[in-house]
Amino acid sequence: MRLIAYLLPRILAALITLFGVSVLVFLSLRLLPGGYADILLGPFVTPEARALIAQRYGLDQPLVVQYMRWVWAMLGGDFGVSMVTQRPVIAELLRRAPVTLQLALIALTLALVVGYPLGVLSGVRAASRRRKRDFGRVVGAMGASVPDFVLGSVLIFVFSVWSLWFRVGGYVPFGTDPVGNLRTMLLPGLTLSVFGVALILRTTRDTVLRVMTEPHITAAVARGATPGAIIRCHILRNAAIPVVTVVATYFGFLLGGAVIVEVLFSVPGVGLYIFNGLLNRDYAIVQGGVLLAAVVFITINMLADVLYALIDPRVGAAR
Amino acid sequence: MSGVRQIARRRLLGDGLTLFGALALGCLLFLGLFGPWLPLGDPLRIAAGPRLGAPSAQFLFGTDELGRDFLPRVVQGIRSTFLLSAIAVAITAVIGTLLGLAAGYLGRHTDQMIARGADILFAFPALVAGLLVAAVMGPGQASAITVISIATLPLFIRVVRSVTLGVAGRGFVTAAEVAGASTLRVMLVHLLPNVMGAVMVQLTYALSIGMIIESALSFLGLGVQPPDASLGSLLRQGSAYLTIAPWMVLTSGAVLSLAIMSVNLVGDAVRDALEPLKGRPLT
Amino acid sequence: MPGTPRTSLSALAIMAGLGLALPATAESVITWGKPAEITGFDVHVAGTVASWEMYQMVYETLLTTDDDLNLQPGLAESWEEVSQTRFIFTLREGAAFSNGRVVDAQDVIGSIERIRNPETASYWAHQLGEIVSMEALDDRRVAVDLARPHATFLPALAHITAAIIPVQEYQAGEFNPESEMLGSGPFMVSAHNQDESWTLLRNPHYGRDGYPRADRMNVAIIPDESARMAALRDGRIDFTTFENPDAPQMLGTTAGVAHHPIQTTNYYRFDVNALSEDSAFHDRRVRQAMNLSLDRDAINMLVFNGTSAVDYPVPAAFGTDACHDLDTYALPREERLARARELLAEAGQPAPRVELMAASANPVLVRIAEVAQQSLAEAGFDVRIAAVPTAEYLQRVFTDGDFDFSASWLAGYTDPSMVIQWWNPNFAVWNLAFQEEVPELSEALAAVRSVPDSPERDEALRDICAMIDEGANLLALVSKVDYVVYRSDQVEVRLADRTGSANTWQYIAEFAPAE
Repeated sequence: MRLIAYLLPRILAALITLFGVSVLVFLSLRLLPGGYADILLGPFVTPEARALIAQRYGLDQPLVVQYMRWVWAMLGGDFGVSMVTQRPVIAELLRRAPVTLQLALIALTLALVVGYPLGVLSGVRAASRRRKRDFGRVVGAMGASVPDFVLGSVLIFVFSVWSLWFRVGGYVPFGTDPVGNLRTMLLPGLTLSVFGVALILRTTRDTVLRVMTEPHITAAVARGATPGAIIRCHILRNAAIPVVTVVATYFGFLLGGAVIVEVLFSVPGVGLYIFNGLLNRDYAIVQGGVLLAAVVFITINMLADVLYALIDPRVGAAR
Repeated sequence: MSGVRQIARRRLLGDGLTLFGALALGCLLFLGLFGPWLPLGDPLRIAAGPRLGAPSAQFLFGTDELGRDFLPRVVQGIRSTFLLSAIAVAITAVIGTLLGLAAGYLGRHTDQMIARGADILFAFPALVAGLLVAAVMGPGQASAITVISIATLPLFIRVVRSVTLGVAGRGFVTAAEVAGASTLRVMLVHLLPNVMGAVMVQLTYALSIGMIIESALSFLGLGVQPPDASLGSLLRQGSAYLTIAPWMVLTSGAVLSLAIMSVNLVGDAVRDALEPLKGRPLT
Repeated sequence: MPGTPRTSLSALAIMAGLGLALPATAESVITWGKPAEITGFDVHVAGTVASWEMYQMVYETLLTTDDDLNLQPGLAESWEEVSQTRFIFTLREGAAFSNGRVVDAQDVIGSIERIRNPETASYWAHQLGEIVSMEALDDRRVAVDLARPHATFLPALAHITAAIIPVQEYQAGEFNPESEMLGSGPFMVSAHNQDESWTLLRNPHYGRDGYPRADRMNVAIIPDESARMAALRDGRIDFTTFENPDAPQMLGTTAGVAHHPIQTTNYYRFDVNALSEDSAFHDRRVRQAMNLSLDRDAINMLVFNGTSAVDYPVPAAFGTDACHDLDTYALPREERLARARELLAEAGQPAPRVELMAASANPVLVRIAEVAQQSLAEAGFDVRIAAVPTAEYLQRVFTDGDFDFSASWLAGYTDPSMVIQWWNPNFAVWNLAFQEEVPELSEALAAVRSVPDSPERDEALRDICAMIDEGANLLALVSKVDYVVYRSDQVEVRLADRTGSANTWQYIAEFAPAE
């Protein structure tokens, strides 16, 4: 019961947010200079041809009508068709979703496996040695400072000049060829994970530092508990809470489509699909893709909220 | 009081990493601000050297595909990237702080509206939002500034709102209200000074995010217009020639990363200095 | 009957040596690294090279061209010019669509009618001239009557937009040209993942025995040049093209990589807005000054590393010398600059502020703009560059006429009097937004259309070229070379030295895996 009372206003807020996103993406697309007629006809566009193309794809209707039609169709699960291929957008989104999901999972796993332990270690060391100059800070500062397209470019350079095991582009599904799949997906995953490592490391480190100033740690120290036991029993659980929030935001961000990395490494994910749809003024693709990304982002954050409430009973009670 | 200041000063200066960050930031700021007047060469002059010339004594960073000296181009890139982000973040900080104050202090409907607005911006995939805005406004500096503002606005609103909520119920605010101070006066005179610390901390984070966004937009060809350079557009330029002229990506990428890192390091130090109790030793 | 599958000899030998049972067939596969996805499925409508290149794999046209851009038989094995206004085409015996149905006269008539139907919105309708009637003499012969002589009628039929589609299936509603492809060309579409890949299978009913040599062609869509290079290096793709002249050099050290620059009738161009009152170029003298002060050699040397060449309104690839002796090309640069400054002074605009627009998706165009900016500055022009998304560029130039000048490239097709029609805005109606009509030029252009290739036509082209140069409305810059790169250790190719109409892969049916 408490959980429902806790979730209900959040779901309402989420719906309002989605409505806002849908209006924003719809309107801004219509404001873009140039349309699909330009892309299809190239330089050979005439006013007559433009009008014909607009009519063919229902773009000659008033904006409100177009918007209502789109939303109505979306509610029935119909995301519309791509003007380029005349095929349903939802089918293509679903085909690409596993690619983006895999990329996000690789990045998240790497970020957690490296970032979390380093963060705990760095936090404990920093707190116990009065020193700020530890490796955790260096790694954190560097990871948060190298943009993904810089790292991606350098990796492409290294791995295409010396043809090491990894490959740039040439995605194959994991089911078809697991090794070939990893050869193409690990580099973009690694590129995306670096920011995550820094994010998780810094959050964990800060939280550990904060937890360690709390009275119950002092009490444990006074009791004579070993540092290992203190870390295991007191610090890890408490440090997990803010980390969950950060991880959720990061994961949501990854699933929203890491456009640049997908473009750079030719990974056929959702981000690349939206990017090309935008270039082609293929409205249904961008509208559907952005809305799907927003739904995923909001859902994940909401799940994190629930998890948060479960880990820390005070959260729900406070409301 | 003096004890806290002393700790703060020691933390700012006594730490090698922060010192490194501050020095790097200082150097880059100097280059960014005074670059155009330094005797480094013309960033725009085509055929100043050979096409795709490797770094040499004459051209320290090599030359690009049109024979332009790459060093002055990188310096111009620092200027574009820093200045655009700084302008955008400054504007955003003002707007975000006011919105955050309003949301936290006025509460109810205002709060709801602002919070939902921030949520909408936050739920939009960041780069897609950037691409849309840049496409609607047309590529260039104005759209880069707008995109950075949109992306960093929720940061300021959220932080300022939560700090305001904590302060709004305190005695001195109630006292001012009872004394008949106007809403605006309470917000600007009584609440604003209390949120400034949080804003300062966010400012450095927003600046580093702003620099990443600016260079990402330029990397996709939607930022600074050619022939002017930003660190992102130089990377885009260089990535096409990675195998035969890697110096373009390596120099501009290194400088961009260094710039963002220096801002982050100084930002960390500022935050630590403003929260002197954190990180007390275990024993 | 499907054609005989080809099996690699060495594979046979190895398998025989190991005493293994032979698999039913060993499929021969080639892989094309395609730089861009199509922009639509409709072969009669799409006006982009990215689409044409894919259509050329699946569809056929009545005629084609050889390496010297002379007309050759295509789907029509022969054609007869009964008079200047009457043509009779005879279809190749055994030509069939990939569904097995034989191509007949009704397909030809129906396809041309579809192109001419305004509802289709095909930009090629104009190119075919005014067709009065079409008639099927028998299953394989079609007679076409024109209202008046139209010298570019045949060359227009050699462009992929005039492809012959299966009209019977189209009319029966079994084939939708807006969302699928079904033609009589060497390949047929088997699978398509948008923006990612295509799988094409050999058309078992293709008219030439034993062709296409490959059973299957995989197509990988790889827009990013670095990624395309990586794919070539890995050997994941067999052949591709680059716009960047340095690409072959960048791949230079990789074993097995071969280069083949193809000269085309295409050239990079500037469209100049003569009609907008807001533009300094509204004044013809300012346009002429700009044309004079351009440094085409610098564009060639700096952007193309000297691999291109200065080009002229009548493309140099056609082998005419029209325009070569005009001041724009023949005068030394210093004198041209002096003339340009005089013209600007006369126009009362010593330092015109103009914006040069280029589609940012093509970095070559942006580089051309950067070089032009600097050479124009020497005459006093203050040029600002706007690198914008393709859709925006197209709308602002061809619909809104809201620009000063813009960089792009012109498809030269296969006949000089065809491409030259671009300077008649009544014919090239898409240029109406920015092109000034010069009545005597339009007349001369209309006249040259009915003049066959002859010294007389060369003379007419020279006069036309002078008028084009005078108007300075659409400028030729340098030739566009297609830099084909392929893995000679993986694929056997046949490439033309010269192509028109973006038909880079015109011999694709002869591509096969290397032994």
